[in-house]
Amino acid sequence: MNPNTFENYQTENFFDEMFGNSNDSNIFEFYKPIYDRITDLTESEFEQKKKQADSSFLEHGVTFTVYGDDIGTERIFPFDLVPRVIPDKEWQKVEQGLRQRILALNLFLNDVYHGGKIISDGVIPEEVVKTSAHFRKEMVGFDVPQDIYIHVCGSDLIRDEKGKYLVLEDNARCPSGASYLLENREIMKKTFPRTYQKMSVRSVEEYPEILLRSLENLTPRKLQKPVCVLLTPGVYNSAYFEHTFLARQMGIEIVEGKDLIAIDGFVYMRTTQGLVQVDVIYRRLDDEFLDPLFFNKNSLLGVSGLMDAYLKGNVAIANGIGTGVVDDKVTYAYVPEMIHYYLGQDPMIEQVPTYLCWREKDRKFVLENLSELVVKSANESGGYGMLIGNISTQKEREEFASRIKDNPRDYIAQPIISLSRHPTFCPHGVEGRHIDLRPFILYGEDIEIVPGGLTRVALEKNSLVVNSSQGGGSKDTWVLSN
Amino acid sequence: MRLYILHKTHYRYPSPVCESFNELRLHPLTNDWQSCESCFVSVLPTTQVRQYLDLNGNLVHHFEIPNDHSKLLIESRSTVGTQKRVDFDNLPYGATMKSLHEVEGNPNCRPYLQSSNFIDISPGIWRMAVDIQENSKDVFQTAYQIMEYIYLNFEYCVSTTSVNTHANEVLERKKGVCQDFAHAGIALCRCLGIPARYVSGYFYDPTRDQSMRGSGASHAWLEVLVNGSGWFGLDPTNNRVVDDNYVIIGSGRDYRDVSPVTGTYFGRLPESMKVDVQVKRLDS
Repeated sequence: MNPNTFENYQTENFFDEMFGNSNDSNIFEFYKPIYDRITDLTESEFEQKKKQADSSFLEHGVTFTVYGDDIGTERIFPFDLVPRVIPDKEWQKVEQGLRQRILALNLFLNDVYHGGKIISDGVIPEEVVKTSAHFRKEMVGFDVPQDIYIHVCGSDLIRDEKGKYLVLEDNARCPSGASYLLENREIMKKTFPRTYQKMSVRSVEEYPEILLRSLENLTPRKLQKPVCVLLTPGVYNSAYFEHTFLARQMGIEIVEGKDLIAIDGFVYMRTTQGLVQVDVIYRRLDDEFLDPLFFNKNSLLGVSGLMDAYLKGNVAIANGIGTGVVDDKVTYAYVPEMIHYYLGQDPMIEQVPTYLCWREKDRKFVLENLSELVVKSANESGGYGMLIGNISTQKEREEFASRIKDNPRDYIAQPIISLSRHPTFCPHGVEGRHIDLRPFILYGEDIEIVPGGLTRVALEKNSLVVNSSQGGGSKDTWVLSN
Repeated sequence: MRLYILHKTHYRYPSPVCESFNELRLHPLTNDWQSCESCFVSVLPTTQVRQYLDLNGNLVHHFEIPNDHSKLLIESRSTVGTQKRVDFDNLPYGATMKSLHEVEGNPNCRPYLQSSNFIDISPGIWRMAVDIQENSKDVFQTAYQIMEYIYLNFEYCVSTTSVNTHANEVLERKKGVCQDFAHAGIALCRCLGIPARYVSGYFYDPTRDQSMRGSGASHAWLEVLVNGSGWFGLDPTNNRVVDDNYVIIGSGRDYRDVSPVTGTYFGRLPESMKVDVQVKRLDS
């Protein structure tokens, strides 16, 4: 059977991005042009397009690394040729909801590092913030440049069985994936050039430019062209491809810790022409590794004296230090309260109900209902450290139960959401696969969000885990202009 | 038209101030020809922000900052859809000046016919208004002539007036900014018995060379009630009938009712106050 046939396509009980809840295969109007194009392809045409796309990825070196895998380290990020389509009205709502959310998160960080009014007003318990693994007491009382902590935010969105958008988690440290978003688009433009044009898809290619502008906005020196650098942990990092890609697109230097030196409260880059003062560091390195004098003493990736220069206001760092408090899944549970508190309004995008295991009542419920819940570690990402109740074994559940009892603060649980599905090419025709969406929110002089984001897809049948480290792939996301 | 507005107000104080209580009127209105999709008002230093509807139907955000602070940053981000509000081939002519006595007794119009904080009804202003009216017997025509008169005869210049300048002074010196022009227009209209109210909002400058005024700050104009056709906006700063390039935050008797930021605190006067407004078109 052709891989591009919808002959046996079943939406089952999930919300399908192309067909909605209906089983009578009534396709959404906005999907029609691309659906027609795909189903018109002959098998050999399809194979050719697929081959072209794969070789483009390989030629461009679009790869990532899986940790804890002994066989091959670098892989191509699997890519599916059926694009996800989001009509403009729908995207407008999502966009505004994300803007609201990053505002609240940023205000929250300003607050917790400046006295914590939201804590003293009794809205969020102090222990939640102070016991968070990524709370940096070094940052208390420090005014970050332009009062912005989160310059790049990836708040992952899912859709439930009715198609309602929900925020699944916030990534306010070093969210990655923007390079795939840009590469996917390049390849889709070559694969379906006419359909792409016909559907008037909104462009995403301004991303590096907006990112650079948001970085330059932070410069401590009033220069026409501030010196911005991208700080990478190095070639062994899973997102190294992305680091080189973004640095190249922005036209800034990519540096490792050893390329920088802090002297007398200023940071310089070693170049062939001598030392050059650095104004803004776009770091793709977690807080702990930034400065061995302040954080992890064994880190060879950072720069001694970097924090000193930062706290003196002589260099800006994006994202700010200490933003991990909002990545904490216990903090996440309080984001609706933050929006009420700081902005005086309701959240525009809802989020997944969350049980906090450190609350005795919640913990009891979680332990009794492990097989119907997803349990997540509060401070892990990338799909590591998580239990999906309905597909877990008795042994796994027992193991998690004891971990929860030992360390309740580190675990949360959520109901299992049936993520929406999207038609995806599979060897025996098109089948539905679960997806999510990682939009990239940039906070510079204002908040800007490139239309869409990276749609991640769980390539294995029935799998709910879309992370690339867990065998997920990606799709291009087409936001239409009216 | 879909418009996005970023409005930043930044105060710096020479020494820390405290017990700051503030009200913000920054949330665009939703009515028949304008719909506010979202509006986020944020305040630094961080504090709890609450909202209520005032007597003029405007949404007010309010907050207090009890502790010492030496800067105050207020930002609002709004997305608003606007619709063609007036048909320029079919302007609301036809209501006669004589018919104005019908609205006089209407309780909804009374506040907009009387003196208010910045506006006086006086024989001097009435004299001036009658001269501008000339032979016009039509309400909209008269209001239009008033707008045009201000546009042609008043000098637009910043820093000759303040937020507290009274309409009397504006009419006498014939100088000012949009707020003053709106006040002057309202005073002239009210003296002739045309109900007139003050509108605060934003203006998207559609011209390529950005030759219009008022798009880099919050804007103000007046609205007059045309018997049988409703309220119409007139912008004496740009000599324009208000259309879908305008976003309304709210309206009231004069500036006092709708000032974007108002409040009290203990401490010295700000050493600087910076207002920055950007209006961006989202569609097309």
